[in-house]
Amino acid sequence: MTAEVQKYTIEQVEALELAPGAEHEELEGWVPQLSSEEDLRQALGKALDYRGDITLTLKNGERIEAFIFNSKTGPTLAESFLQYYTPSSNEKRKVSYFDIARVEFTGKDRAAGKHWEDWVKAYNEKKAAGEKNIALAPDALE
Amino acid sequence: MAVPISQMWTVATYVLKKRLTGKKRYPLVLMLEPLFRCNLACAGCGKVQYPPHILKKQLSPEECFRAVEECGVPLVSLPGGEPLLHPQIVEIVNGLVARKKYVYLCTNALELKKRLPEFTPSKYLTFSVHLDGQREHHDFSICREGGYDIAVEGIKEAVKRGFRVTTNATFFDGTDPNSVRGFFDEVMDMGVEGIVLSPGYSYDKAPDQNRFLGRARVRRLFRAILSNRKPSWKFNMSPLFLEFLMGDRKYECTPWGSPAYNIFGWQRPCYLLQEGYTDTFKELLETTKWEEYGVASGNPKCANCMVSCGYEPSAVVEGFGSLSGFWSMIRGTFSLYRDEHALKLLNEPMPHGRVPLVQIAETEPSLMETSR
Repeated sequence: MTAEVQKYTIEQVEALELAPGAEHEELEGWVPQLSSEEDLRQALGKALDYRGDITLTLKNGERIEAFIFNSKTGPTLAESFLQYYTPSSNEKRKVSYFDIARVEFTGKDRAAGKHWEDWVKAYNEKKAAGEKNIALAPDALE
Repeated sequence: MAVPISQMWTVATYVLKKRLTGKKRYPLVLMLEPLFRCNLACAGCGKVQYPPHILKKQLSPEECFRAVEECGVPLVSLPGGEPLLHPQIVEIVNGLVARKKYVYLCTNALELKKRLPEFTPSKYLTFSVHLDGQREHHDFSICREGGYDIAVEGIKEAVKRGFRVTTNATFFDGTDPNSVRGFFDEVMDMGVEGIVLSPGYSYDKAPDQNRFLGRARVRRLFRAILSNRKPSWKFNMSPLFLEFLMGDRKYECTPWGSPAYNIFGWQRPCYLLQEGYTDTFKELLETTKWEEYGVASGNPKCANCMVSCGYEPSAVVEGFGSLSGFWSMIRGTFSLYRDEHALKLLNEPMPHGRVPLVQIAETEPSLMETSR
């Protein structure tokens, strides 16, 4: 088991009053510098967690706009790959880490601006303005 | 007793068969997510934050049936997204019922009343309606005024038409136990079969990361809520799991007990964490590093989790896996859990004081010893 996994003792966990949540980075628009294998692995790790589309540029020049949902990593880049969906297809596709030259966080971050505090603020403002049937609407499917 | 005998018998014989054949890891409930699209935009939800092209994708009925047959579960939960938005949801439900699977269709019930005529009542089909508390709490929780009234209308119509109906609530930090107990009275008056509840979990995909209960606070909250029960309250859950929430039992997580399948594949390791996907259930079981998950692992991602999808299977396996477990389950089903200390908890000020609607917690996490 990795040291990262064994962060808490069971006594600490059982005594937890409030759970520390995860920190979300603002990644929309980010284009990571990929000067090493480690840089690429880290960028793709973040791409995997990102709630928007990513644009990958392959070494052969092909550009793929996709939602990345899975990775299987091996000891080398050639043995590691991503799984993704593109907007135009229902087929799951794969790309090898080795083939990726550039990563861009081009899609809108769908989790941004959806904090509880944002809702409370919006609710209070609408209520003060006398609005009825206050609600948040789901994003349009475009 | 909220769970029908036939369903209990099906689960009991399933667990016993698995034990007799020496199976160590087996699923009980498939969390089958046919789509992520939803007609609500709850601020606390991390299940629907996807680009539009992902929200438009959905599992076909054949893919749903294949997943159910692949893992062989007796129970199927259909969460989402909102399953009633799936254009083939009736076909999916009918196919699962024909396979004699006990189906829990989890819905916010905004569309329920309208869609009910398309479904046929069956002992295998339950509408599990998401209600997070009394009207103002629920509406604020789902970020939609009027949502409670629509859901209640759907519940009443479903009950009238002879469907099995349960309510399903998630409680976060700041929950008022007195309000929750009042809510139990209200839903039982609606004629539902039973109540399902769970503490929230700080899974890292949720946009809101500040309102999640730690385990000590979960135990205190649920001890206040679930002790000194009214005889009219019925719970569509294992009594041993409820005792776990109250702090009377210790369980390890059984993440393979409620595997999740969706458009991405079999989700590793559980319904809430998304640490990759496999193409087959067998691959999920055989290649997931299970020892890295659950509270005993020390994994911070599992630190506050006491959620039903991980811990109720542990309780069910104990309940149907031994005579002492079975006896505890029967005793728990009929006990009112009298507890003077818990009565006092109901009169204690809430951790952060009471405010109208839903409480917002402080952002600073803390580690404190607590005693009940």
